[in-house]
Amino acid sequence: MPGAERRPARRRRKDMLGLRGVTREEITQILETAARIRAVNRRKVKKVPTLRGRTVVSAFFENSTRTRMSFDLAAKRLSADVLGFSASSSSTRKGETLMDTARNIDAWRPDALIIRHPCAGAPHMLAKAFPWSVINAGDGIHEHPTQALLDMLTMRDHLGELDGKRVAIVGDVLHSRVARSNIFGLRTMGAQVVVAGPGTMCPRKLESLGVEVRHRIDEVVEDVDVIMMLRIQRERLGRAMMTGVAEYAGLYGLDTDRLARARPDVLVMHPGPINRGVEMTPDVADGDRSVVLEQVSNGLAVRMALLYLLLGEESGDARNG
Amino acid sequence: MHATAERAVVLRGVRWICPASGRSGEGDLSIVDGRLASQAPSHAKVVAARGLVVMPHFVELAAHLGDPGFLWREDLTSGSAAGAAGGFGLVVATPDTDPVIDRGALLGDLQVRAGGVTGAEVRFAGALTIGLDGVELAEIGSLVDAGAVALSDGGRAIADGLVLRRALDYARPFGVPVLLRPGEPVLEADGVVHEGAVALEVGLRGIPAAAEEIGVARAVALARQTGARVHLHSITTAQSVAQVREARRQGVLLSASTAARALLLTDADVDRSDYDTSLRLTPPLRPEADRLALVEAVRAGDVCLTSAHFPLSRVEKEHEFERAMPGAAGLETAFSAALTALEGDLVAVARALAVGPGQLLGRQPRIEDGAKANLVLVDPNSAAEATQPQHSRGVNEPLAGRVLRGRVMATMVAGRWVHFSIDV
Repeated sequence: MPGAERRPARRRRKDMLGLRGVTREEITQILETAARIRAVNRRKVKKVPTLRGRTVVSAFFENSTRTRMSFDLAAKRLSADVLGFSASSSSTRKGETLMDTARNIDAWRPDALIIRHPCAGAPHMLAKAFPWSVINAGDGIHEHPTQALLDMLTMRDHLGELDGKRVAIVGDVLHSRVARSNIFGLRTMGAQVVVAGPGTMCPRKLESLGVEVRHRIDEVVEDVDVIMMLRIQRERLGRAMMTGVAEYAGLYGLDTDRLARARPDVLVMHPGPINRGVEMTPDVADGDRSVVLEQVSNGLAVRMALLYLLLGEESGDARNG
Repeated sequence: MHATAERAVVLRGVRWICPASGRSGEGDLSIVDGRLASQAPSHAKVVAARGLVVMPHFVELAAHLGDPGFLWREDLTSGSAAGAAGGFGLVVATPDTDPVIDRGALLGDLQVRAGGVTGAEVRFAGALTIGLDGVELAEIGSLVDAGAVALSDGGRAIADGLVLRRALDYARPFGVPVLLRPGEPVLEADGVVHEGAVALEVGLRGIPAAAEEIGVARAVALARQTGARVHLHSITTAQSVAQVREARRQGVLLSASTAARALLLTDADVDRSDYDTSLRLTPPLRPEADRLALVEAVRAGDVCLTSAHFPLSRVEKEHEFERAMPGAAGLETAFSAALTALEGDLVAVARALAVGPGQLLGRQPRIEDGAKANLVLVDPNSAAEATQPQHSRGVNEPLAGRVLRGRVMATMVAGRWVHFSIDV
């Protein structure tokens, strides 16, 4: 494969493709690094020279504003040069394959590629074929590891160790990469996960991922430390996946009555953007149990930590040799 | 490699297996003027074949040869050579070409060219529906009259029950088997792997087993209704096997096959290989329990085998998993895959690759005096790493790199060696 001969022999992680199979020690290391690196974002001069001279390419083959900006800012705050590659403005529209695009990017000798792509496994394909680091910013319905890491960092800030904590994930778990990465990560960290949603979105077979499956939000709100609401993307749902927004909000929406039955210190999370009035009512979304904006700021920290751990000094300069 | 013919050949010290009659033996096997004979004249060419096994050559029911229209994948010549190298003496090409073989007139030129190949004999399946679209019936009568040995929509499942019923009614009097890929397209939808635990882990959309099993149920019911000779190619689930067995027990004129590779590979290989696109298949690889059921059914003689050969180029496979063209090469590895999965059971392999498919096409593959010398010479004790195809143009052999048991040494069609890797 192209460039493979340049891949140096190294023991450290080259890529972050997903949280499945990532050890508890490694997740802890990422979260602790992120917690430390947050200090940079509170300074007046929010930039450190750690990745000076490194090139980070972000290639988003799906629309995204927030995740892309978060990654770009993370790389910039570490002084990396950031190159944005957007599918809509590139030759992918002209029929170029992902591998062709990647070979072109490879010719610029980048250090890392951040990729979001509608197909599961697209980041894996590039990670296998090229020597640079690949960070998965969301692949199809598969994984979105940095989202789960920022969620876990937010939980840790409030709950301490995740071991034994109980997390509810509500919504279209089957087709959610956010849910999948959270399930893999949280299970590795020793947390219990219970999912709730319609049978089309939370089928029983999800139990094979090590989670409990429920079909009403009322069955999960009372005894959990975290309620994570997933965004319903009606335009992306397949045929006959749900009955209607009103029934969905009635069975699975989080409102003040339901929140009142939850633990007083429960955390309400959402990967954004929120459909107010569907997944949760505005007063819950903006209420004191909601940590949605903390999630956003932790996203920046987690992405800085990952770039640092994958590309930073300690990971050696062999890749540029 | 050119076909070579000797008027008389003796395979010295060979073991032979005739799975149709259940007889086997060891010693010298003589071939005179294209037929097996009790003894050969003294000038016969002697082939040292000690340790090797002779059985009827294999018959492939459904290979995509890409000719015409997809010549970068395969053509009649390369497909014929790949078949011969895999021990197949007869390869039936599917009609999923460009243009689709849905009119008798299209077969004329193809059959002339097929007459010139030097490997396995190549025959053709005609389309059941125009353009394989599952809407209007193809020219079934003129296709059969022009030489089609079977009717099939290739890998396309016919969704419309009425069209399928009419196709079977129309095809029945012409006496050729109808090859169907059972499936319910609306349930297959945008799935790319088996719907199950592995799909959940790797984040790929699943194809439920029910999509195939509904297709099997419909085909069984319509085969019973119409009396047409139906063969379900590429069944993959334990429930499909059970349905086929029950239908046969009830006397429905129905048979089934699976891909040889399905006896070795499971959906977990998609995960293990990190989305290797040569494992993107229709129907998809299933879990271990289904694989075991298929192995058992083939061993019992209830399901036979095809290579499910669908060669593809790098341009078609070097994509994201769900965007890669489905299909895998298979002609050159089917025998070794089967022998490996069946743990060296040569009789079961011969029954599944030679007798079952041969009888479906009206042939009587036999190793006995007077029978046509249609045979394959294999080394059952070889163990070697499978490679990407050597004769086919495909680059999509999912078994490449695996150590497989058994090797095809030579293939003979009507007394002519069409492939050999030993001195014949």
